[in-house]
Amino acid sequence: MVRLPYLTALTTLFSYGLLFAFGQLRDFFRKLIDWTKSKDLKGYAPICLGLEDFYTRRLYLRIQDCFGRPIASAPDAWFDVVERYSNDNNKTLHRTSNTTKCLNLGSYNYLGFAAADEYCTPHVIESLRKYSPGTCSVRVDGGTTKLHTELEELVARFVGKPAAILFGMGYVTNSAIIPALIGKGGLIISDSLNHNSIVNGARGSGATVRVFQHNNPSHLEEVLREQIAEGQPRTHRPWKKIIVIVEGIYSMEGELCKLPEIIAVCKKYKAYTYLDEAHSIGAVGKSGRGVCELLGVDPADVDIMMGTFTKSFGSCGGYIAASKEIIQYLKYTCPAHLYATSMSPPAVQQVISAIKIILGEDGSNRGAQKLARIRENSNFFRSELQKMGFEVLGDNDSPVMPIMLYNPAKIPAFSRECLRQNVAVVTVAFPATPLLLARARICISASHSREDLIKGLEVISKVGDLVGIKYFPAEPPKYEQDRKKLE
Amino acid sequence: MAKLYVQTVPPADLNKNTEWFVYPGVWTTYIFILFFSWLLALSVFCCTPGMAWTAVNLFHFAVTYHFFHWKKGTPFAEDQGMYNSLTWWEQMDNGKQLTRNRKFLTVVPVVLYLIASHTTDYQNPMLFLNTLAVMVLVVAKFPNMHKVRIFGINADH
Repeated sequence: MVRLPYLTALTTLFSYGLLFAFGQLRDFFRKLIDWTKSKDLKGYAPICLGLEDFYTRRLYLRIQDCFGRPIASAPDAWFDVVERYSNDNNKTLHRTSNTTKCLNLGSYNYLGFAAADEYCTPHVIESLRKYSPGTCSVRVDGGTTKLHTELEELVARFVGKPAAILFGMGYVTNSAIIPALIGKGGLIISDSLNHNSIVNGARGSGATVRVFQHNNPSHLEEVLREQIAEGQPRTHRPWKKIIVIVEGIYSMEGELCKLPEIIAVCKKYKAYTYLDEAHSIGAVGKSGRGVCELLGVDPADVDIMMGTFTKSFGSCGGYIAASKEIIQYLKYTCPAHLYATSMSPPAVQQVISAIKIILGEDGSNRGAQKLARIRENSNFFRSELQKMGFEVLGDNDSPVMPIMLYNPAKIPAFSRECLRQNVAVVTVAFPATPLLLARARICISASHSREDLIKGLEVISKVGDLVGIKYFPAEPPKYEQDRKKLE
Repeated sequence: MAKLYVQTVPPADLNKNTEWFVYPGVWTTYIFILFFSWLLALSVFCCTPGMAWTAVNLFHFAVTYHFFHWKKGTPFAEDQGMYNSLTWWEQMDNGKQLTRNRKFLTVVPVVLYLIASHTTDYQNPMLFLNTLAVMVLVVAKFPNMHKVRIFGINADH
């Protein structure tokens, strides 16, 4: 649910219309100018059919310097961003060898494991020497090391499920598991704002896909009732199985899922649940066990829990945790387990060390400190931004906070101006978000100190005034509030 | 005044080419664009108001026919060509006919026609062109014309 001033909605639609009109004009003149040039394709079909690449060529390439900035150091709280320049108005970008040190508000480094850590890094280097960077084999052939089995047991214990299975890439975990779990004749009901990996997996499985309104358990119930009553398309036979897919924290909204209500609805209609905890595992919850712990849901109620190691654990890869039977079944059907190379051993060791720190098994309380710090940091940052008058989405305790920009011209303005003042933010536009709801996504980390956050707030406030994104009235400064209380 | 707020929920439409049409302010923006293009036509051509409305009506016909009923597919590649045989009008609201948005878009050319023909006093060369424009547009928006390609014009190969 976003609230925006009506005038902003009108101007955003008008801006997109203008950009579209200019893009079409440019295409028209390009076609005129190239009319005489020979278009001999030698019998091959053209790569792009019709207008497929219109958005990329005419809208994305104009502000290409705001996306894909190369970095030259580990993504810690402060990192080096490589400077780039362009000679042809952003159509091609060239790297220089200069770097600027910027405050990192874009990497999802929630617990600060992205940079060198005093416990993790020595273990990782030792495992690199012992096991070497790659296993050069598939899990079923020779790619399962002692580290892999140790991590699978550790992940299962951490999440609260009987067994777990690992994969080398987080995106692949979703897009290769969903086709293995359900096929033609099944029904997938997924939240309308689910991540692209889930959408890809659902499309690739061949099952029928239906979408329910974001985070709306009553609409989910309506969709379930309608689909169960109708049955499969055309034959109207009952569905073979129904899986409902939701995420723990939605990466573009920062919102937590309404998990208890959704689980209650699914249990009532006997549908399976699949929870994607990519952004919430390790970052929320009192001991970091994710959204189930935070909302008080028993992990045994969720059928399949999926997560990735890229966000809170500073590594790469993903996992699925479920009952022993499901994991055993996945181990001999999932193509990502049978044909893809296994996770790199130093990456596995990084996750093992990170989970040990979070659980406190390394002998110190750094895990609990990190969890408390990220909670404090997120709540402080979010409340300060809201006090300044920005429109910030997301629930309390969630480390992801998108600041709404709406207007397409404000995306490059915000991004470039922040970079000039040495703060690196990530801006997201269409097609990752709906057309009109462009935003700048801030990810808070446990490695940000209070001074870093205050500097970030100052810069964002100044840039917000320049760009004009303070859509809500700001809170009056403190001494006036105290005076009002006395009267 | 500029701070009148509206609330919106992201729609459950999966087709990113048409889901922007359900946001608040779309109809108002459309009407404002038509009104401002009338003012623009008046100031550029220095003609009578009736001729300006006729110019707007014909330009509106050309633009909306081209983008709603001629161009097929979507301007981005993420949906892997699922809608490559459907025009924008056919993709709207997932193919459901007679929704509020479709009814609004059918009424706008008719209202434009009435304004244009009234302000030109129903005189002849303009009346013929305006009538032709509104007839083509309204017929193209009928529910029975969904996915119909007359004489194979604009059909897929």
